[in-house]
Amino acid sequence: MRIRAVVSATLASAGILLAGWQSGAHVAESASAVGTTAGTAGTGTTGTGSAKSGLGSSAGGSTSGSAASGDTSSGTGTSGSGASGSSGSSSGSSSAGGTFTGDSVQTRFGSVQVQISVSGGKITDVKALQLTDEDRRSVQISNRAAPLLRSEVLQAQSANVQTISGATVTSSAYLTSLQAALDAAHL
Amino acid sequence: MRPTSKPDSPALKARTFQCMGTVIGLTVPMAGNDDGGSRAATEEALGSAADAVERIFRELDGQFSLYRPDSEASRVARREVTPKETSAGFRDRYAEAANWRLLTEGSFTPERPDGAPDLSGLVKGYAVQEAGAALASLGLTDWCLNAGGDVLVSGSPIVGTAATWQAGIVDPQDRGTLLAAYPLGGGTTARALATSGSAERGDHIWTRATGPSEFLQVSVAAADIVTADVLATAIVAGGLPMLNRATDGWDVQVLAVRRDGGLLATPGFRA
Repeated sequence: MRIRAVVSATLASAGILLAGWQSGAHVAESASAVGTTAGTAGTGTTGTGSAKSGLGSSAGGSTSGSAASGDTSSGTGTSGSGASGSSGSSSGSSSAGGTFTGDSVQTRFGSVQVQISVSGGKITDVKALQLTDEDRRSVQISNRAAPLLRSEVLQAQSANVQTISGATVTSSAYLTSLQAALDAAHL
Repeated sequence: MRPTSKPDSPALKARTFQCMGTVIGLTVPMAGNDDGGSRAATEEALGSAADAVERIFRELDGQFSLYRPDSEASRVARREVTPKETSAGFRDRYAEAANWRLLTEGSFTPERPDGAPDLSGLVKGYAVQEAGAALASLGLTDWCLNAGGDVLVSGSPIVGTAATWQAGIVDPQDRGTLLAAYPLGGGTTARALATSGSAERGDHIWTRATGPSEFLQVSVAAADIVTADVLATAIVAGGLPMLNRATDGWDVQVLAVRRDGGLLATPGFRA
């Protein structure tokens, strides 16, 4: 539940950043983009609503602050009213990219901050960062499962494992299983 | 099938037996030096440890297996015995399974679609847990127990070190190869790894939805085997919502294989 609350809060923050940034970028880009902006703002609003249950302060904080502090880019989307589809200082051309970090919000889990990566006008990554009190080092706090390429998981060769986990192996299937080979080597 | 021995791999000794429709294996490291005396001592200790493990599995198998017509579970399923007349052990496992149903919001269920209690989703993991407790009480500190792909370890494969046991995870699309690895025991808190699948023996997972599971296979690493085993089964049955509930609510790492072969993984599985 706590993690869900944090995720809600961070999504809310991310949604607002997204709304702010996209409204700026898309308004500058074309009128047809306004629809997209409104839709995005909707996401942010939803996220804020759900965050209220556990983290009212953070929801309020991120709504008013709303803004990417934009430490790595000059393009700060300072729009807090993305829902209207208007306003928001333009964050530059639609090809703008970079990493945007939202305001740090105090929660009972510590300081939480959302960081988004933008490339070619699209958000490519959203990270929930937690700032530890000691050294302000950020760590990723979400333990949610995410899509991963096969080359990105911890790799194994049957030669350097000591045991095998798989869906229940029947006694007959065992005979041709990797586990049987390991056991045979050690019997 | 017999792999060539690797000089740098730990020297291990294993004992296996069949029970609960699968093969259970106990693996222990050989004692440090190669003299005949310590080898014989290792083998003797392994033999009595494996016997203790086997006794626990046989007893639970006789009590809970629905494929045994004379088991208590079968008598309950045939309604020859009312729930009140069941043994304390049966009621305890049923209560534990019912609690897991609550915790997983119904993704894990101790009942078949026809309403008969089916505790087989819980009992193998419970048997591994009890066998692990027995090994600990025998004074064994370094071992790996594998019951048909459900793994519980203690200590290290290299006596006196913090080396982890490396558990390979089978690729459900090519069962002769490994998809990933996960380190267990050693200096880590994760001692258990369980994998459930919808491809093989899928009938032991009762999905609430009528369609097939969105996951071919789900592996869960946890501190204890019952949690790992139950959550792996629940995620296969409950799909992505249950996967997110599991990673939000428990200290676990999950690797799930989608029907199309794509992977979903928590950070602990990232290389």
